[in-house]
Amino acid sequence: MRNLRWLLVPIVVLPLTLLLFHGFGRDPREIPSPLIGKPAPSFSLVTLDGKTMSADQLRGRPYVLNFWASWCIPACVDEHPVLLQAQQRYGDAVKVVGVIYNDSPGAARAFLDRYGDGGWPQLTDEGGRLAIDYGVTGPPESYFVDAAGIVRAKQFGPLTLAAMDQRFSALLAASAER
Amino acid sequence: MLPTLGHVAVVIALAASLFAAGAFAIGGRVGDPRLLASARRAVYASFGLALVASAAMVVSLLGHDFSILYVSRNNATTTPPFFSFISLWAALEGSILFWALLASGWAALLLYRYRSRHRLLMPWVGATLATIDSFFFAVLTWPGNPFVRVTPVAAEGPGPNALLQNHPFMGLHPPLLYLGYTGLAVPFAFAVAALVTGRLDEEWVAVVRRWTMIPWIFLTLGITAGAWWSYEVLGWGGYWAWDPVENAALLPWLTATAFVHSSMVAERRGSLKAWTVSLVIATFVLTLVGTFLTRSGVVASVHSFTQSTIGPWFLAAITLTLTAALSLLAWRLPQLVGSGRPTSLASRESAFLLNNVLFCGLTFAVLFGTLLPLIVGATGGGTISVGAPWFNRVNVPIFGALLFLMGVGPALPWGRASWSSVRERFGLAVLAAVIVVVGAWAAGMHGPAPIGTLGLAVFVGGIMLDEVVRGAGARSRARKEDPATATWRLATRNRRRYGGYLVHTGVLVMAVAVAVSSGLSSQTSATLRPGESVRLAGYQLTYDRLVVEPLAADRRVTEARAELTYSGSQQGALATALRDYPNSTTAIATPSVRTAVGEDLYVTLLAYDVATHAVTVRVFVNPLVIWIWIGGAIVAAGSVFAIWPDRRRQAVEAPLAERPPVRETAASVEGA
Repeated sequence: MRNLRWLLVPIVVLPLTLLLFHGFGRDPREIPSPLIGKPAPSFSLVTLDGKTMSADQLRGRPYVLNFWASWCIPACVDEHPVLLQAQQRYGDAVKVVGVIYNDSPGAARAFLDRYGDGGWPQLTDEGGRLAIDYGVTGPPESYFVDAAGIVRAKQFGPLTLAAMDQRFSALLAASAER
Repeated sequence: MLPTLGHVAVVIALAASLFAAGAFAIGGRVGDPRLLASARRAVYASFGLALVASAAMVVSLLGHDFSILYVSRNNATTTPPFFSFISLWAALEGSILFWALLASGWAALLLYRYRSRHRLLMPWVGATLATIDSFFFAVLTWPGNPFVRVTPVAAEGPGPNALLQNHPFMGLHPPLLYLGYTGLAVPFAFAVAALVTGRLDEEWVAVVRRWTMIPWIFLTLGITAGAWWSYEVLGWGGYWAWDPVENAALLPWLTATAFVHSSMVAERRGSLKAWTVSLVIATFVLTLVGTFLTRSGVVASVHSFTQSTIGPWFLAAITLTLTAALSLLAWRLPQLVGSGRPTSLASRESAFLLNNVLFCGLTFAVLFGTLLPLIVGATGGGTISVGAPWFNRVNVPIFGALLFLMGVGPALPWGRASWSSVRERFGLAVLAAVIVVVGAWAAGMHGPAPIGTLGLAVFVGGIMLDEVVRGAGARSRARKEDPATATWRLATRNRRRYGGYLVHTGVLVMAVAVAVSSGLSSQTSATLRPGESVRLAGYQLTYDRLVVEPLAADRRVTEARAELTYSGSQQGALATALRDYPNSTTAIATPSVRTAVGEDLYVTLLAYDVATHAVTVRVFVNPLVIWIWIGGAIVAAGSVFAIWPDRRRQAVEAPLAERPPVRETAASVEGA
């Protein structure tokens, strides 16, 4: 009985520590996307260069839709070099498509001029229709669509180098299965 | 140059704190006064160095030195000096630097003040405080270094978080809150010292209560100022939303309040010692948990800080602190239990006990609600959020019970109350409460919460007033003093009791104001073209014109301002705006609040159309809101009155043998 009091320590400390520890690596704002496993929303939008691009044109090759904005500091600035690297490493197999989220084309252009333009298409999403279709809560957010046009994964927040490798190879594997 | 100076200061402060912690512990064991003196000087030095580092950061912010990452992310060349200055605590790393400054400041103040008192306790108090300071300096040296440089140096930055540069209260609320948070390390250090040395006596209780009250006052003011800030800035017409950041501040406040009450039983009866120490430990751990929750990105909150790598550091600190403190407690537990005598149910001891049960119920409910999203996520239950309705439903009844107890508790004598004394004491107050409730209902006041709270407040206020009047009357007759002098002398002869009454009065004022303002406010929203009006609760608002222009204080910010005139119980002109900050996607509301004694007229701009000059405004008429802030000020004033040092108080701090026996006041002996 006398020594039972020592149990006090693990009884209080362990559950609290484990619970708080569990919170790491999770973002409480991250909401699982209902689109996973479903066909990607269709669109037909104009790029910064004035060309029209649609979801149908992208069919047959996996692609990544990356929602971003020039005002999204520092997350989009941190993410940008990762995207540039992804373009270099996976450019032939996976197409990167930027979607400018709630931002003016001029500001987006200035951002690309400053931080480096990887040359991938940048869609202007007037009125945020595509962002609404995808259920974007805030930039940066990326959606991974396989060759058959099925949404495979969602990245909430900036892509890191490790997350990019894991996501891109999973996407390639998923596309190869079909 | 400055960032290097700041960083070096932080690193030396870390070394000094580590040295102080070790020197205090060794000096305490071997009883070497020279070692203890040099440990004290090391703590003073670490405070001085924290001051140097903070000054380096402030000067860099004021000079817009974008070579520092923290400055480049939280400042712009157009940021006004006031907001540049307070950006010291506007984001993660700076806020930890500010935290370390205040924590080492409290430690230095305490060690200086008690340099020749409490000789057995102070080495361990010093060791504990220096260890805590070391933690913060270590975080500043590694994961949360505020002086990290960046290249290439940008010519312009985004400016501070838009919400935080919209109101001067940002300069007031965080420092008050942080003074409270950091100060609560002091009672914790005394708890550790008492457990290590085994000296948990009345001397300990007296000094710890005083040093809990001081940060408690700051915490109270900080929470009130935060609610006020939220009301003036966020534009939703409310002041408390049970957001994790708010809960993080409330949790230690609840346990500290429970401690202030239970310590009176511990001091007088020698019982509840283990419990009282547990509350002190819980209070400090909850300040760490709150900091962790809002700074690690684990729980979603309106204003959590950016995600960072300091989370694991705080988690390790929480685990180590809790393990060490609970092990000490378990070790000393046999000496701490069992000196209490059985007491009657109708006694002040029982009232205090119930008070503690209720406060812990509140603490548990708030903690549970805050952590529930995390618990559900951990057990695979998906994503949930716990909102204000849940917290209100759970907590409002407990608050009601506490309010009732606030009247009953102090009126009950220690030991045992007789029914005749209870009747005599409560009769008038119950009568007054019934009359006021019936009167309010007849006057057209509706809703159980506002009327119930008003009735309880009159009951509690009546009991206190009755007691003060009786005590002052008796003194006035016995000593032939005029009533005002008698009341003042009665109160200053027993500051703790009458200061406590003043605190309780402030709580009553706040309770009534909260219940009435949330239960009886009215609101409407309307889309108006120039010249059109909207009516609400006796007010008529007429929309005059829309002005869109850059802000004079910061040209990067565009302000769209709707100008209106209003008439009713207040008259005049007001302007409410939406401000577009370049670093914010959503426009920041700038509500206009016209405050009178009885009610606030609160107007916020929701949308505007530049082409047609049509605006959509939301209008609130919130009764009694100003009394919430006044109530908070009364609480603080009462606490200051209660702990104000006087001759009697000096006696309490003197060694035990020299103390005069504590006597009950005339007023409370009467009923026993």
